[in-house]
Formats: sequence, structure tokens, C-alpha cells
Amino acid sequence: MALLDVKHLGMRFGGLQANVNISFQMERGEMVGLIGPNGAGKSTLFNCLAGVYNPTEGRILFKDRDVTGSRPYEMARIGLARTFQVYVATGDLNVIENIMVGGFMRTRSPRAAREKADSLVEKMNLAGLVQERVANLPVAAQKRVTMATALATDPDLLLLDEVAAGLNPSEIDQMIDVIRWVHHDLKVTVLLIEHVMELVMKLSHRVLVLESGRLIAEGEPAAVSRNPEVIKAYLGERYAAE
Amino acid sequence: MEVLKRAFDFSDFPRTDLCVAGTVALFLLVFPLLPHSSFAMATMIQFLMFSVYGMGWNTIGGYGGQVDLGKAQYVGIGAYTTAVMMIRWQVPFWVSLPIGMALAVGWSFILGYPLFRLRGHYFAIATIAVSLVLKDLFEAWSFVGAARGLKIPLRADMPSFLYLQFREDYYYYYVILGFFFVGLFYINWFRQSRIGYQLRCIKDNEEVAKSLGIDAHWAKIKAYAVATAFVAAVGSFHACYNFNIEPEDTMSLDLSVLIALMAMLGGAGSLWGPIIGAAVLVPMKNYLGAWFGAKAGLVGIDLIIYSAIIMGIAAFEPRGIWGLITRLRESRRS
Repeated sequence: MALLDVKHLGMRFGGLQANVNISFQMERGEMVGLIGPNGAGKSTLFNCLAGVYNPTEGRILFKDRDVTGSRPYEMARIGLARTFQVYVATGDLNVIENIMVGGFMRTRSPRAAREKADSLVEKMNLAGLVQERVANLPVAAQKRVTMATALATDPDLLLLDEVAAGLNPSEIDQMIDVIRWVHHDLKVTVLLIEHVMELVMKLSHRVLVLESGRLIAEGEPAAVSRNPEVIKAYLGERYAAE
Repeated sequence: MEVLKRAFDFSDFPRTDLCVAGTVALFLLVFPLLPHSSFAMATMIQFLMFSVYGMGWNTIGGYGGQVDLGKAQYVGIGAYTTAVMMIRWQVPFWVSLPIGMALAVGWSFILGYPLFRLRGHYFAIATIAVSLVLKDLFEAWSFVGAARGLKIPLRADMPSFLYLQFREDYYYYYVILGFFFVGLFYINWFRQSRIGYQLRCIKDNEEVAKSLGIDAHWAKIKAYAVATAFVAAVGSFHACYNFNIEPEDTMSLDLSVLIALMAMLGGAGSLWGPIIGAAVLVPMKNYLGAWFGAKAGLVGIDLIIYSAIIMGIAAFEPRGIWGLITRLRESRRS
């Protein structure tokens, strides 16, 4: 049984059809990349999956339950966690407290939440930063905080929203290691939504390509990158022929 | 057991804080034994009452970041429950206290559900409005004495602990001091609990909070209920301490604003903040008010001072006096 099963999903904002008839499945243990040019509807799809938007058409099945139209906190409790592109945490929670909040989803005990957070801090290279405010951290560390916070909820599926955006090449390499660890050691299924091709191509077992709200290609990274439709979508008509 | 242990666990505060807190606690315990005027005693009792109001407000307003300017209506519900039950059915204070708290909390659930659909300023304005509407209703409702309010008659068996009627003020002082310590330990537990963390996350970023499985709407309603229980309890005490209650003094906008102001001045979202705020503002209010009122006839000047304080907090340090202290410490460390 598929962990995530998206059936004919469509999302319309007034006259704008942001997602059209999108269907795909994800198995437990997979790592799937979702790519597409700006405005292709990636974020809309992401928000539909995370429960932020209620899709206007189609159904979403997660762990064989129909979760279409569930609210974000319900999705989180069922086991679907997400990160944020820009982790806006202007307030007074520091790094460890942020991660603890994630841990509190599965426990009432502050001690258990703290232990959960401590174990993640170690692995996510945040050990020296636990007392810092998130807003004071460099971008790469903020991305790791939002990942650690999401992981503290013990998800089955983690949606990563552009975790490599704004990182330099060496930071991207570190991020790749972190995501591999999440996938391999924590046994979390991962959906990467990403602009940075290098990261998607290195990590994904399978890549989905969105263009103008439609799913135009699906397959292994190498095959997808040779697909003329995909090249056309990214580089324009002229390059597709070559 | 773990819950109880956490309520008494202050280990995350620096030692200087705990020394100061211990000294203050000791002072509060022995204050009635020191020489003092009756005006000073009344001021101390008010300080304790406003500290507890502020601690309650701090749960939703400080940790949760939802500026609530309608707490006075729950003071009124607590005060009126106690007064009505005592006058009509001779119910002791210690029985009407939990009933008043329960009624107030029930009312807060009914209001909280629609109120927390609103955010920011809109929420604040709505809390003012509902509180004033309830006050107007009480002013027209003859069962509770309408605008003239209620007067609790003195009992023949006075002094009575059961009915909270004493000749000397220091009995009242120790009762409210008990409330104060219970409140303080409760808030100390609260801030370290799951709901405490969740509220702070909601204050930081509600979208993030929701993505972490937090039902933000429900969490706010729960915190609002906790805040309500605090102020209703002090409201009940207020009824017995003052004998006389009327809508104008238990449910006025002034009181709502003062409650929020003291917590914000001291430091919203910190354990000591509301106590510091009350310690600064209550004596100032009483002594300045008396002085200005008597000497110069400048009756409204306290309102000008409050407004100036609100502007000062907003402009310089949203975290209040405690925020200033924290900032000073951080700059000294680095």
C-alpha cells in the first residue's frame, strides 16, 4: 500500500488553476523530488499536502486514510511533517525550545520532549547553538532547525520545502548528508521540493516534474533530465531540439 | 508527582534571581509584623491582588501573545458569584470561590471560541467590547443589584474565616498572599509544561505551530480559561475584602487595562514580570493618586501616566522591565 496517494488533485484560486489533475504515489522508504520552474505550482501542491489549502478537486490518501481537507495540525498528528522555507521565529523560543515544541506533539512530559530534542540536536550539527535564538542563526543552521523541529514530531513523511535555497556549495553538501541520515537512519520517507538540481538529482529515487500546474514527467533522475518536455520547461523551446 | 516537582523547580533561573525572589517572599511573609500604616497595608493587598491578576493575564497575554483587554468581566463574574451566593443563600466564600471560577471559565469558553477567530488588534478590541457589554448587562440586571451593586452584610459571627470576614486587614493579607504563592507555583509549572511551550510557539509563528500538531485555536482557548480562573478567584476575594461591589469597580475598562498594563510593564511572558509590574504600578497608582487628588485636584492625571507607560513600552522595550533587565545582563556578559 502506498504511504501517500494523490488522486487527480486540482487547486483553483479564483480564475487561476494552480494545480491540474495531479496524481502520484509515494511508497514508504522512498525519497522523491518534486521540481519545476517558478510558478509551476510546487508550493501550491505542497500546501495542499500539508493541509494549508483545501484542494478544490481530487483526493489525498495518507496511510490509507482520506485526509483531503484536513487541517495542518491534523496532518502533523497523522504523521506528515513539513519544513518552512523561511523559518520566521522572531520571538523568544531558542533552538532547543523550538525543537522541544515538535517533541511535545507526541508526549506531555517536558523531560521526554527534551530528550527527543537533545538526540536530534546532536545529529543535526546544532549542538553548539541550542541556546541561540533562531533569528540570529545563519540560513543553513535555520534550515537545520526547521528540519529538526519537524523531525521531533516523529513523522512518517517529511516534506522538505527548498531546504537548499540560499545555501553555498559546501553547505549543500552538508545538507545532502543530513537528508540522507534522516532518510536512512530515521527511516523517514522524504518528499523534496527543490530548485537546486544538484541536491534533487543526487538524493531522489524518483523525480516528479511540474509545469504550469501539471505533472509533465515522472521517473528516475537521469531519465527525467533527458526528457525533452522537461528541458523545454526549464530552458525553453530552443534547447529542447538539441 | 513530576508535576508537583516541576512547580517548585526554579533551577533555570540564575542564583541572583532566586536570592532576590527569596528576600521578597520573606518580606511579604513578615510584612504585617513590621510597623505600617493602614494605607500601606491596603496598598500591599492591592499589590498582591494585581500580581495574581497579572499572572493570570500573563498566560494568554504574555506566553500566548494574545493581548486581552477584557479580563475585568471575569473579575466581575467571580465577585458577583461570591456576593450573590453569600447574600442570598449564606454560602461560604470557600464554596462560592470554585463555583465563581467555574462559571467564569465556562463563560470564557463560550466567548473564547469566536474571539480567537480574530487576531492581533482585532482580538484586543473584541475583548474590550464583550467585557463592556457584560458590564452594561450587570448594570441593568436587578437580581445582582443593577448599577448600585451589592453589599455583603456583616455577619454576627464575625470574624469568620469561612465567610472571609475579618476586622483586621492582615487576615485578608495572608489569604491573598496564599493565592499569590499558589498562583506563582502554578505559573512556574505552566511555563515549563507542554501548553506553555506550545503557546510560546504560537506567539512566535502560528503557521509553524500548526505544522507541529498544535491546534492553535484550542490552545489559546485553554490558556484563556486558565487566565480567567486566576482573575475570577481574585474577584471572589475582592467581593469579601471590599464588602461593596458594583459593575463600575469590578468590571470597568480601567481594571481590564490595568491588569494588562501591569503585566506588560513588568514583562509579558516572564515569570517575574507581572509581580514587578504590580510592585511598580500599584504603589504609584495609590500614592500618586492620593497626592494629586488631594493636593492639586488633578483627578485624571493617572490616566495620562498610564498612557505614557504604554507608549514607552511599545517604543523602547516590548518585553517590559524584565526585558530591560535581561538586555542589560546579556550586554554585560558579552
